[in-house]
Amino acid sequence: MDYLASIYNFRVVGDYLPVFLHGIFATIWISLVCLVLSLVLGIFLAGLRTSSSALLWRPAAAYIQFVRATPLLVQIYLVYYGLPIVFGSVGVLTEAVSGIIALTLHTTPYMGEIIRSGIESVDKGQREAARAVGMNGVQTMWHVVLPQAFANVVPTLLGQTAVLIKDTSLLSLIAVFEVMSSGLQLMSERVMPNEAFITTAICYLLIYAVLLAVSNVVERRLGGGIYRPA
Amino acid sequence: MFEEQRQIIASILPFLIQGLWETIKVSIAAIFLGSILGAVLGTLRSFRWPVITGLIGSYLHVFRGSPFLIQLYVFYFVFPQLGIPLLAFDSWTASMVALTLYTGCYVTEIVNAAILAVPSGQEEAARSLGMTKLQALRHVVLPQAFKLAIPAMSGVYVIIIKSTAILSVVGISELTRQGEVSILRFPASIMLIYGVVALLYFIYCYPVLRFTDWAEKRMGGVRIKSD
Repeated sequence: MDYLASIYNFRVVGDYLPVFLHGIFATIWISLVCLVLSLVLGIFLAGLRTSSSALLWRPAAAYIQFVRATPLLVQIYLVYYGLPIVFGSVGVLTEAVSGIIALTLHTTPYMGEIIRSGIESVDKGQREAARAVGMNGVQTMWHVVLPQAFANVVPTLLGQTAVLIKDTSLLSLIAVFEVMSSGLQLMSERVMPNEAFITTAICYLLIYAVLLAVSNVVERRLGGGIYRPA
Repeated sequence: MFEEQRQIIASILPFLIQGLWETIKVSIAAIFLGSILGAVLGTLRSFRWPVITGLIGSYLHVFRGSPFLIQLYVFYFVFPQLGIPLLAFDSWTASMVALTLYTGCYVTEIVNAAILAVPSGQEEAARSLGMTKLQALRHVVLPQAFKLAIPAMSGVYVIIIKSTAILSVVGISELTRQGEVSILRFPASIMLIYGVVALLYFIYCYPVLRFTDWAEKRMGGVRIKSD
């Protein structure tokens, strides 16, 4: 018991519990904002990517490939240092806003590609039937294609959400407050790496466990993953 | 017109190339070690031995459920605190161990999925010819599984190459770190330097990425969730 107390002091962790709870809360809301934004932009990007006009799909493809082939850390630095140069130092560009913009720009292509594979998985007859009953292109997309596309890719989207939540940890490097930062705060104030980092890891695993449970429920509700995008 | 930028790039490029070389070395070493670890664990997991499957499963959950950054911090800061001399890693060892275990968890999942994707008739046929379980695995199942695993494996290699950027926080002088050092020399051209860094990463990753896309279209193969 003494050995355990010497490597993991529960009392200190208890003192910092509010900080960690605050951090978990921050991680969750940052992830949620990025998730919503990247889903919306992802639908838009999937539309551009599948467009038949080279003027639209080429830039979209270039953006997707650039994001997929460079590390998130470098992208975060580019956005964090680049935004003030482009927009001047306006007051709203706090670290959290820069971080959310960077993460959204990073996640959008992944979401877009998943949504694209979902749209392509919807049978062509569905689209033709919708057109035949008199819907226009936007109505067909909104009422017929997208709902089925989403149902097909929800498990994959949840997997990407788990990646997104893990990626928020890198925002601690540009001084955004989230779980990782609360661990680093314990580390810098008490210099207790075990308590700081093991607790942080446990927080992430808790979030992961919740997400895993949610995705199990969702997969069962959807009939055990009828479709797995290839 | 861009005289100044050209001069800055000329003076930092040797260091960035050096960093890129370090990135290439670290990533290839991690991929090599991680693939061996993953191949062994993935094969073990496909046997469905209760205790071992559970142990490997918890390894997978822990390493896929937490960000690589925290894993690196644990190996770098926590392990030396445990009072076991063997685990007192320096930054290089900590990075290698963390990256290898991180690679290993992806590869384990892929190898396991690939072995399960080989039709069970193949193994049964091999067994009925008189091969032992091990022989069937080695001569019949694994060669086919290997082919199924190629597209997913090259996808993992892209992830690992990109993850090496995180090693800069414990002071491994790879590409991102060299970029940060160059910024100390030319603080006014942050964007230019990070732009060049991103470009170098792109040059390294893009061929692998294209190969992944091509192999996926060409061979299909197994897929794991991207987390």
